[in-house]
Amino acid sequence: MMTTRSADHAPDYSPAEMQAVFLSRDLTDGELGAAGASAAIPMAAMLLARLRHAPNLSIAGEMFVNPYPKQLWSSMLDDRALGACEAAETFLELFAHSHRGLDFFFHNGMQIDQYGNINLHHIGGTIDAPVMRGPGAANISYAVTSRRFYICTTVHTKRTFVPKVDFITSPGYLQGPESYHAAGLQYGPKYCVTPLAVMDFDPETFRMRLKSVHEGISVDHVIAQTDFELLVPEHVEITDPPAPNELQLLRDVVDPKGLLRS
Amino acid sequence: MTAATGRKTKRIRFDEIGGFLANTIEDGDLLAIGGLFKQGRPLALIREVIRQRLTALKIISSPGSGFDVDLLIAAGCVAETFLPAVTLETHMCPSFRRAVEAGTITAHCVDALSVVGGFLAAANGVPFQPVAAWKGSDVIKYNPLIREITCPFTGEKLFATKAIRPKLALLHAQEADEFGNIRHLSTMTYADQMIARSADTVLVSVDRIVPSGDIISRPRETSIPCIYVDAVVEIPFGAHPTGSFPNYSIDEAHIDSYATYAEAARKGSPTGDANLQAYIERHVIAPQDQEGYLTTVGGDTRMEELVAEAQAL
Repeated sequence: MMTTRSADHAPDYSPAEMQAVFLSRDLTDGELGAAGASAAIPMAAMLLARLRHAPNLSIAGEMFVNPYPKQLWSSMLDDRALGACEAAETFLELFAHSHRGLDFFFHNGMQIDQYGNINLHHIGGTIDAPVMRGPGAANISYAVTSRRFYICTTVHTKRTFVPKVDFITSPGYLQGPESYHAAGLQYGPKYCVTPLAVMDFDPETFRMRLKSVHEGISVDHVIAQTDFELLVPEHVEITDPPAPNELQLLRDVVDPKGLLRS
Repeated sequence: MTAATGRKTKRIRFDEIGGFLANTIEDGDLLAIGGLFKQGRPLALIREVIRQRLTALKIISSPGSGFDVDLLIAAGCVAETFLPAVTLETHMCPSFRRAVEAGTITAHCVDALSVVGGFLAAANGVPFQPVAAWKGSDVIKYNPLIREITCPFTGEKLFATKAIRPKLALLHAQEADEFGNIRHLSTMTYADQMIARSADTVLVSVDRIVPSGDIISRPRETSIPCIYVDAVVEIPFGAHPTGSFPNYSIDEAHIDSYATYAEAARKGSPTGDANLQAYIERHVIAPQDQEGYLTTVGGDTRMEELVAEAQAL
């Protein structure tokens, strides 16, 4: 069994493109969604879905409705990406957006645990005396009020995929069904999409479960890069690779500068 | 009709900013910064804060901040932050990380709803804003701006986030008249309108001052009316290295070069601290005016590139 991506069978698309294409397929026509900071892959997924199969998808964060960026940017919250949009709002609208929630949102994390909890605050120590202080997060309410969210990360290592996060910035399924229900949570992460694989969550235990590995990646490699016991079903599919028309739209229209390939 | 004769101008000169700051903010006060991440941040005003050697400031902002906060921390101006997300997006903020990990500043654990809710409550003149959307996050346990409350109508358990009244707010926009009517030409204005209504004193830098008649001819485009503004100062490229769209784009290369210095200092490189302080000396302390600053960051040639990048969007 291969342990890493093999050079002579390297796919003709990047891991980030695979992630964007996978996520775009899961977005449904008519839905309302958004992404936060450092969100090139989620924004690509939404723009691709809007072009390909979901013309009535609305992209609306706290301050903007339906942006039309000419290219992807490493930051998607300034006028480079949002300058052309259907409505420019302000943070006055934050409360309405946050309390009404969205159909879907995207989160990333410095640490992600087996229940899909996300940490962007600190690793080691305490929040008041951290060994490593992270950036924090702007809107933590979307994890609670949005009907589902996706965890999308550009790294899949043991350092990122830990048994228990040091700090819960945005809640996933907390410590499992009991704590999740006790906290009054109703929604949660649907998929965790990484450069190596797609994970979902076991409906009984709420623990993270391998769903598919990307082309050229072995199950053993994903297990080796994960510092908790990943649930692995008997048959693990290969993530359906980007179709030619998906890649073409992604590269010609959504990401003409190739940010997802850099 | 035009503005009444004898109406006082709110326009100040660049060389009056230092005096304005000396009269409106002291060591230890709460300073609010407008814009978000790499857009519309009042960097020329922030550099003046550093030049005034203000210390122990408490910093608050719209929910996303990065370069300016990191620079203020590197220059030793900050004691506490109330900032939801602090990042350069392509990098973490090195000086922020270093100071929090060393325990030299306190980074309070807050989120967008607590900060924006605090501005909103202050702007509306009420003591708090209710929030019903927090569950399951550790941010709720450590956030100093919030308390649990019970809804007086339904008995539901929810949270209150307390009104935030900064001593001084620094904002940047594209245009204003001399009476302090501010007009954003950028698509995104973030929390600027709210911050202006919440602060005791508001100082706004703009890329250019326009005639009063120009403001009066398009009043719906006035983003912050003069009644919320105490002083306005024209500073071409005053947001640099952040962007002021549609006038000029973000100088990512400059922000990256700063990050390299700050990251080397954080990692304890032998020359790290000296190089970071040399950056501050060269770009913040030494320049006597904005023109002097701009020559340190590439001058007309670089500014023309940033203008062209914004125009191409």
